[in-house]
Amino acid sequence: MDVRSNRREQGGSSAITANRLLDGRTVWLGAHGWSEQIAEARVIANTDIEAAIEDARARAAADSVMAIYGVQLLPDTATPEPLTMRERIRAFGPSVHPAFAISPQEGQRHE
Amino acid sequence: MPLLESGVLAADPWRPAAEDEPIGAGDVIVPLARLDEGLARSDPGRLGVLLPPEAEPSALRAALPGLSLIAVTFPIFRDGRAFTQARTLREHLGFTGEIRATGKPLPDQYEFLRRCGVTTVEVPEGTDPAPWAREHARFDVAYQPSILNETREGFALRRIPG
Amino acid sequence: MSDTATRPLPVGHYTYDQVDHDFLRARVEQFRDQVARRISGELSEDEFKPLRLMNGLYHQLHAYMLRVAVPYGTMDARQVRMLAHIARTYDRDYGHFTTRQNIQFNWIRLEDTPEILEQLASVEMHAIQTSGNCIRNVTSDEFAGAAADELVDPRVHAEILRQWSTLHPEFTFLPRKFKIAISGSPHDRVAARFHDIGVVAKPGPDGAVRFEVFVGGGMGRTPIVGVRIHDHLPEEDLLAYLEAILRVYNAYGRRDNIYKARIKILVQALGLDAFREKVEAEFAAMDRARYRLTPETVAAIRARFGTPDLIAPADAPAKLAADRAANPHFDRWARTNTHPHRAPGFICVAVSVKPAGGIPGDATSHQIDALADIAERFSFDELRVTHMQNIVFGHVRQDELLALWHALGEAGLATPNLGLIGDIIACPGLDYCALANARSIPIAQKISARFADPTLQEQIGRIHVNISGCINACGHHHAGHIGILGVDKKGEEFFQITLGGSAEDDAAIGQIIGPALPEDATVDAVARLIETYLTLRQEGERFLDTYRRLGQAPFKDSVYATA
Ligand code: SF4
Repeated sequence: MDVRSNRREQGGSSAITANRLLDGRTVWLGAHGWSEQIAEARVIANTDIEAAIEDARARAAADSVMAIYGVQLLPDTATPEPLTMRERIRAFGPSVHPAFAISPQEGQRHE
Repeated sequence: MPLLESGVLAADPWRPAAEDEPIGAGDVIVPLARLDEGLARSDPGRLGVLLPPEAEPSALRAALPGLSLIAVTFPIFRDGRAFTQARTLREHLGFTGEIRATGKPLPDQYEFLRRCGVTTVEVPEGTDPAPWAREHARFDVAYQPSILNETREGFALRRIPG
Repeated sequence: MSDTATRPLPVGHYTYDQVDHDFLRARVEQFRDQVARRISGELSEDEFKPLRLMNGLYHQLHAYMLRVAVPYGTMDARQVRMLAHIARTYDRDYGHFTTRQNIQFNWIRLEDTPEILEQLASVEMHAIQTSGNCIRNVTSDEFAGAAADELVDPRVHAEILRQWSTLHPEFTFLPRKFKIAISGSPHDRVAARFHDIGVVAKPGPDGAVRFEVFVGGGMGRTPIVGVRIHDHLPEEDLLAYLEAILRVYNAYGRRDNIYKARIKILVQALGLDAFREKVEAEFAAMDRARYRLTPETVAAIRARFGTPDLIAPADAPAKLAADRAANPHFDRWARTNTHPHRAPGFICVAVSVKPAGGIPGDATSHQIDALADIAERFSFDELRVTHMQNIVFGHVRQDELLALWHALGEAGLATPNLGLIGDIIACPGLDYCALANARSIPIAQKISARFADPTLQEQIGRIHVNISGCINACGHHHAGHIGILGVDKKGEEFFQITLGGSAEDDAAIGQIIGPALPEDATVDAVARLIETYLTLRQEGERFLDTYRRLGQAPFKDSVYATA
């Protein structure tokens, strides 16, 4: 996957994301496996992120996910929120279709 | 390495020329750089040559009468230059010997290879021929003429592949 | 053929026979097999990706995206209803019409794709070669078969090219994708000079049609206006000549750098004369009899197209004139959204899929169904998708135009902005596209909302605004009178403005006017460009004309002097 417009910084923390093989949907690595909700994502210090990504990649086939990478998070948010617009759109849905949005607060899809 | 011909595995009577050794007798495939040496060989046997993807097929024009096999190659399956090379060898140079595909072609490309004039495909040891056979039999129609001069089907450009 | 006895052939597109149906069914089975191998883990993503791309299945930001081919943009109502069904059943109730006359579904599940392709196949549709480094869907003129200046119906030749390019053994693994457009009239309505190959019909000396062939045009990172490689190609050599061009490209096109792999780079590197020499050498050496396009072949394909019975009541024009006089809203729409038809009493209708503030090219399943109904009622069961992301009804009786307009209004599709500033072309951008730098849709929505007033739009006149979310230029920003390109500045969305592009007979590439701006400042900048134009224009000038007469300075000043 092209991770253009997704930059990770030296400090701070990140979450790990992927896409599910069967339906292609964006998922986030949480305490209990992959979730569609970024609210459930594990927040990982950037010092540990590469190792965590490696672990996740090793299990990718078994977990039926693909294109695993780390996403820089904004500091100090109630629930995890990505830094870049690209990853915010992946996490919360297209900005032009409020009907399909997932709000960071509720972590719910309004469908 | 095993060979595929018409969707089934076949024995390969050819061997590649060993580096830094005389070509010797038998059916040998030489690299393009050793073509002259191969043509001048006095040992009995048929001669083949490996045409790299960037080479012009017309470079073989003078050598064709002495060649029984030309191997074209796919460094990656997406590099489709060998299709044009094979078709050029057949259509423009009138080569009637074996054209062999080497490198990394996919079963899904099998009919394309055949319709461009490739006769055999070199596959890795242990290859399951089933997907190749499946793709060989997949379509009952083709939508454009090819060097195989297949029978026309119905109207327009359609052909029945053999 | 077997199926023709039961119903008349659909108007405007080729009708499959049993052989074509069998082929498509085999293709669906092949993909079903590939998907099963992917899901079982037998194929890795790396191995599967090129296979799914050959069937139009991408992976975008949120899900898989399926791009369905609409050959030469033409469909019958049954096919259109199938698209609505797919949107409803497998997607989130909408589809997106693209600038290449295709339709995309954004929320597709991998598991569902074999079933979707099977359903599409039942109405003679597919997603073959809508992606990958092969010959893509061949596009043609949206007024095909209807325009007064037409020499041939280009859809017959586009269909011939579609068949010829389908699973072409030699040209399915080209250095890069390959786009062909064909225009049946000398007036280029297909952006022929912005395609890898553009074919434009022209009258021949003996009354037979000839083709002008352009090569090496394109947008993307290196926008280039295509050059004429053949001035008067006879019809019978069309396939042979295209084969020759593609052979030269397949043999010599660069494969070491994806950004330099299109044919335009090869043509530039060799120079047109050297490139033409190679093509001519190939053309001279090839077995021309094998590739000859005989009049019988053309006739056989043409015979698979239904033709409309263009008979209108003698008073149809008078009825239309009276309807227009009685209703100023209808009159305005008729002024902007119609095009003359070659047959007396008929007219072509262009439907804007771009309501003020809407998403360019997006249509709900309800709207797609409504379009099918209207096609059935008013236009011989046929409609076309345009490269402007709009819809055309090709053959409408003038006395029925008012009723059609009412039907469009009920579906929210009667926006009178065709060719005006609200008729913006925008790619999906960062809201969907995995390659994007910035969002294109919100800016399009803001511009079209700012200029929502139809009277103002008409005052501004003909203008093309094109927006791309990255340098791949799917929104054709290089060819916009005003072009907007999304760029990434340290993770933030910025937009670069270009002026002076055109995709028509006066093809040109827009020039950048200055530093990139944030989204809202870009919308303001467009407003100031328009004000400047309105102040400086002379009688009868379009935005582009004024820009070309005065040059960049006054426009640039208007944007940056106060910015
Ligand atoms: S122009 Fe860029 S952002 Fe827009 S659709 Fe094309 S690749 Fe995606």
